[in-house]
Amino acid sequence: MNFELLEKGHRFPPVSFVLDEAGVSQYLEAVEDAALPALCRDEGQAWAPPMAVAALALRGLMEAMGLPPGAVHASQEFEFRRPVAVGERLASRAWLAHRSQRSGWLALAVEMEATAEAGEAVLAGRASVLIPQ
Amino acid sequence: MRPAKSSSETWAVGRELPSLSKALTQEKIDAYARASGDFNPIHVDPAFAAGTFFGGTIAHGMLLLAYISEMLTAAFGRAWLSGGRLKVRFKGVARPGDTLTVRGRIERAPDEGRRLVAAVECVNQEGQVLVAGDAEVHFDA
Repeated sequence: MNFELLEKGHRFPPVSFVLDEAGVSQYLEAVEDAALPALCRDEGQAWAPPMAVAALALRGLMEAMGLPPGAVHASQEFEFRRPVAVGERLASRAWLAHRSQRSGWLALAVEMEATAEAGEAVLAGRASVLIPQ
Repeated sequence: MRPAKSSSETWAVGRELPSLSKALTQEKIDAYARASGDFNPIHVDPAFAAGTFFGGTIAHGMLLLAYISEMLTAAFGRAWLSGGRLKVRFKGVARPGDTLTVRGRIERAPDEGRRLVAAVECVNQEGQVLVAGDAEVHFDA
């Protein structure tokens, strides 16, 4: 993908993903968060850590964009609209909000939204990434 | 997951959130890459990373946000997990061997305290700010 040719508003291919029990366990182990496991269970329901949902949504976005090696994260916004159950299927959509060039880097701002199967938004965000030129 | 019933009264403006520290290693970065699926070589390939602007591997920005989220979870519990907001800028990079400290402070309590806005940051062992921004949580009326 030639990022220098992308127009503002360009929509990246949507991505579907599920955060299952194994994925949650792997995430909790990686981030060493001792408080989360107990809080993510409520009356028999297992909930996905919101930042794990965000990480997977972002991963899908990065894959859809085909970012080159060396691209770095410059800023990030997330708004968690509601909890996500473990095993719930989500769809993530993203579009280009801004593109500029500075000091040998291409700066892209991408807005994204993850929705549940019924169409309800569970996560919204905006990521800024820098791509070396 | 229900929103927290605990009120924001215990979090007065100006109060510091309990901080936490993490010793960052390449193994932890690799573990996060496996969990998130983000295998950008800038994070996991020392040979590639050595030839980049950074001169070595750096942690995923999202790993640092996970540490900030841990602090917010410890402070606000389900209020954070049920519907928080986080807005940050990455100002520096975290490298294997760094000791990271995450901290925060209540800045505002709008809507009669039903919302809290906290300034949050992640700094390294030299005090360099790597991540800075704000987080917002909502409490039941």
